[in-house]
Amino acid sequence: MTPLALKDTSPRVDRLQIVALLGLMVVGVLFIFSATMVSDSAAAQPLVKQLWFRQLVWLGAGLSAAIALCLVDYHTLARWAEPAYWLNILLLIAVLFLGTVRGGARRWFDLGFFSLQPSEFAKLAVILALASFLSRPAEELRLPGNFWRAIGMLLLPFALIAKEPDLGSAAVLLPTGFTMMFVAGVPRKYIFRSLGLVGALVILLIVDVLFAPPIWQPIKLKEYQRQRLLVYFGRDFAPANATPEQKRAARQLQQEKTYQSKQALISVGSGGFWGKGWREGKQTSLGFLPPGAAHTDFIFSVIAEEKGFVGSATVIALYAVVLFTGLRIAGQARDRLGKVLAVGVVTLLFSHVFINIGMNIRLMPVKGIPLPLLSYGGSSVIASLIALGLLQNVHIYRKGY
Amino acid sequence: MIVFDQLKKNDVQLQLLALVFCLGLAVLLIGLWWVQIVNASAHQESVETQAFRSVRIPAVRGKILDRNGVSLAENRPNYNIHLYLEELSPAFRKEYQRIRPRAVITNDLPFWKDWLGFPTVTTQYTKLSIDNLMRVQRQARYNAAASVIRRIGDVLQTPLTLDYTNFTRHYDAQRALPYTVASNISMAQMARFEERGINSLGVDLEAQPSRAYPLGSTAAHVLGYVRSDDSSAPNELAYFSYRMPDYRGVVGIEGGFDSQLRGVAGAKSVQVNSLGYRQSETIWEAAESGRNVVLTLDVRIQKAAEQSIQKFLGNNARAAIVVMHVETGDVLAMASSPTFDPNAFIRKFTPDELARWKSEELGVQKNRATREHYQAGSIFKTIVALAALEKGLNPLEEFTVDRNPNNPAKGIYNGVRPPVKDTAPPGKYDLERAIVRSSNSYFITNGLRPGVFDKVVELGARLHLGERIGLPLLQETPGNFPRAGNQRSWNPRFKANICIGQGEMDVTPMQMAVMTCALANGGKVLKPRLVDRLESQDHTGFEPPEVFPKGVVRDHLGVSKRNLDIVRHAMLAETEDVAENATGRNVRIDGLRICGKTGTAERDERRADGQFKNTVWFVSYAPFERPQWAVVVMVEDGQSGGATCAPIARDVYLALQQMSRAATNTLATTR
Repeated sequence: MTPLALKDTSPRVDRLQIVALLGLMVVGVLFIFSATMVSDSAAAQPLVKQLWFRQLVWLGAGLSAAIALCLVDYHTLARWAEPAYWLNILLLIAVLFLGTVRGGARRWFDLGFFSLQPSEFAKLAVILALASFLSRPAEELRLPGNFWRAIGMLLLPFALIAKEPDLGSAAVLLPTGFTMMFVAGVPRKYIFRSLGLVGALVILLIVDVLFAPPIWQPIKLKEYQRQRLLVYFGRDFAPANATPEQKRAARQLQQEKTYQSKQALISVGSGGFWGKGWREGKQTSLGFLPPGAAHTDFIFSVIAEEKGFVGSATVIALYAVVLFTGLRIAGQARDRLGKVLAVGVVTLLFSHVFINIGMNIRLMPVKGIPLPLLSYGGSSVIASLIALGLLQNVHIYRKGY
Repeated sequence: MIVFDQLKKNDVQLQLLALVFCLGLAVLLIGLWWVQIVNASAHQESVETQAFRSVRIPAVRGKILDRNGVSLAENRPNYNIHLYLEELSPAFRKEYQRIRPRAVITNDLPFWKDWLGFPTVTTQYTKLSIDNLMRVQRQARYNAAASVIRRIGDVLQTPLTLDYTNFTRHYDAQRALPYTVASNISMAQMARFEERGINSLGVDLEAQPSRAYPLGSTAAHVLGYVRSDDSSAPNELAYFSYRMPDYRGVVGIEGGFDSQLRGVAGAKSVQVNSLGYRQSETIWEAAESGRNVVLTLDVRIQKAAEQSIQKFLGNNARAAIVVMHVETGDVLAMASSPTFDPNAFIRKFTPDELARWKSEELGVQKNRATREHYQAGSIFKTIVALAALEKGLNPLEEFTVDRNPNNPAKGIYNGVRPPVKDTAPPGKYDLERAIVRSSNSYFITNGLRPGVFDKVVELGARLHLGERIGLPLLQETPGNFPRAGNQRSWNPRFKANICIGQGEMDVTPMQMAVMTCALANGGKVLKPRLVDRLESQDHTGFEPPEVFPKGVVRDHLGVSKRNLDIVRHAMLAETEDVAENATGRNVRIDGLRICGKTGTAERDERRADGQFKNTVWFVSYAPFERPQWAVVVMVEDGQSGGATCAPIARDVYLALQQMSRAATNTLATTR
């Protein structure tokens, strides 16, 4: 082949997706700036301590990792899927013992300059390993044994992450895994049965938390998780037989627990159509939106308050571009491995976006889930960019030269 | 749709997935539309209520000045030291970290942690229950604030303490407002404060106006007093998160012109952060200063009147003086004794002052010139004389007063049962002598002549006796006087009493001043004028002063000049007729001819010595030739009009004479 012939008519990378991703990254840095630079003391910090700058660093690191991954065909990468999976399982186990505790959860390794959150990378490893596992011949996928192995691959990290506890991060694994199996061609009856089982379990759990007396709860949720569910369903914390004193205490506690989601909703709603303008958001600058969460899980509230419906619709449009170009990549992938891998990445992204934005407008209970590429956080940003790098990788090597 | 077209036509799974994504994003968009567009205003309101506090800013209260611009009520800056809580919040946090309970825990570490060198002994904060947490935080805030306040105390060189309950209450209820650390600090302390520049502690000096009456008790009853008030005046925003109290006038000019003096309070909005600390302020509506009230009083005359009561009768005398200009109706002085210091309502009452203020017997609260009514006694004989003259009495006709068999030196009137005693001796009387000796027999006999009593009632109506004048003092009583139309209940005894100013009639000293002016100015019944004008506080303002008209005539006596002159001469004789031992002679001054009439009215109460208590009067005007001023003196429980009241009136006339000389001198020099 001549070098000229190498020049395909279609581009090697999906340019539209890259443009949308860059847009999201810029928006993210801008609004992390807006959410954190609220006081003079924040501005007086050295640059490396300013979060918008750190986010730039993470983005740079993530982009470099993504580009590096794109240099290797995803088939080669898939061979490393199993070791990567087990390495991540090890990390997830280690973090349960060695991790630092923040807000009652053991999710991070404190590396000094950086808090590593292994669950973010574990999600990636699960996608890669599951894609590689599901790329076996179609006949083998019909065997129940293989189906159960796939379920096991999903449930092991699920359990470990849920143990931290980080139910939100664990939960996104389920839709991602089932969608991958569905697209890979695992018989539908298996999927529907297990989905039915999961659904029944979830409903049981919710009914249990909401209605059963405490001694009747076989599945012990952490108290804060139970409270979040109660907040979401708008139910009283106090049991029906509580004394007035207990009820008063419970009501106060409830107000505090409802505070975050209430303030997020007020932020989003008060933005109106056009928003109050960049760095003009009262909810952030006056600290009503909790300062620890405004630039991470609630970054969407900041955007929605300052840029209004226009801003939030723009963000959703950018994600839509990424998601649908991702699906196009899946459709054009050269084999089942590529297709399932792409679907895994896209579904993971969609789950994050839906749960996070949903929680900002109270469609979803509060979960500690970041908004990919917008929320501040090194692990999340790097893992998201690596995932998107994998997606581009599937696109680049779709022709199989 | 582009999204689906790009997928392979037969790839059902991916198409399904695309559909799910579409639905999901649509749900989010609809949710956002619902929250951000449909319900936007409700959420914006929530931001308002949680991030803004409205604060009422009181307006600067107007001054009260005398006719020459002497200040009687004004505002003094009170320098207070304010602590801004938002500046202290880092200190609160630091103190909380310090006093937060913690426990030292010795961990039994697993071998690998031990091996990795984790410390076995750690210090951890103890987990606190909500109530305990609040308590520790309150204590931390108190400690931090108290230490700042101690340092301020060191600078001011006065020990300052912080009251725990007071501070906590302020923190809970008014966090967005500064806390007053020290109020009313002295100039020396202010200098120390400024010099040491401790503003960095989150404290600042604020001037707050406080009401002051520089002349103390002078004209206290005219001025009235104020109380601290935090209710909304009409046309103000009804709801404020915080309202700075201002003053509400209770009685006197402070009460009567309260709304004009008070002005219109403004409003500002304070933006607060999620912890309730102040972030910034915006003035919505500036306060509109109150207007100054310029009185017709002349402080010199007012003081002379008050001092003369004090000089002759002491602090506890129950007396009143009204000095009025006979042509314009301007009230130059209105004194009521015993008096009080209106400053006591701003600072605190001393126990002594409070006892006086509450004493029923002293009746300090009453303005005796307008609020109390008394029997007029002989001073009303001037009006009876006018009525009789109008009905054809010959002033020179002689009348014989009978001898009182029980008291041969005095006369008696036998026309009614029981007979009425006369203070005048028996003998022959014409009108002038009857006035000078104040003969009861003479005036009852003439008063009961056909038509005369009706004329007396008519003159009383023209003088508006039994009616309120409508002074802006909120302390006024109408008094009593018979009204035409009730003739059937008037028996001779009733009429006889009225003819000597007793019985079913009561008058205020103010009403008697109006009567005296009418006798002096040819029969014009004036509306007393107490307030000259309302003017804006800043003289640069374009707002013109609101001037109240002078010499408003409510009515005319409608009597002939001749008859008035006869009474006027009789009143002159009352002070000048030495041969007749004139009762009003004590008022005499060189160079000023004064017309007067004394009066002594018996009250129902008896003194300790068994005698009836007397209300004694002296009504007068001067100069005789061209009357200018009317002076009415009333003393409760006095000896007699001539002995008790005339000397007091004399002091007032001396002051008036001096004032008029000073005025001529100024005129002469300015020419």
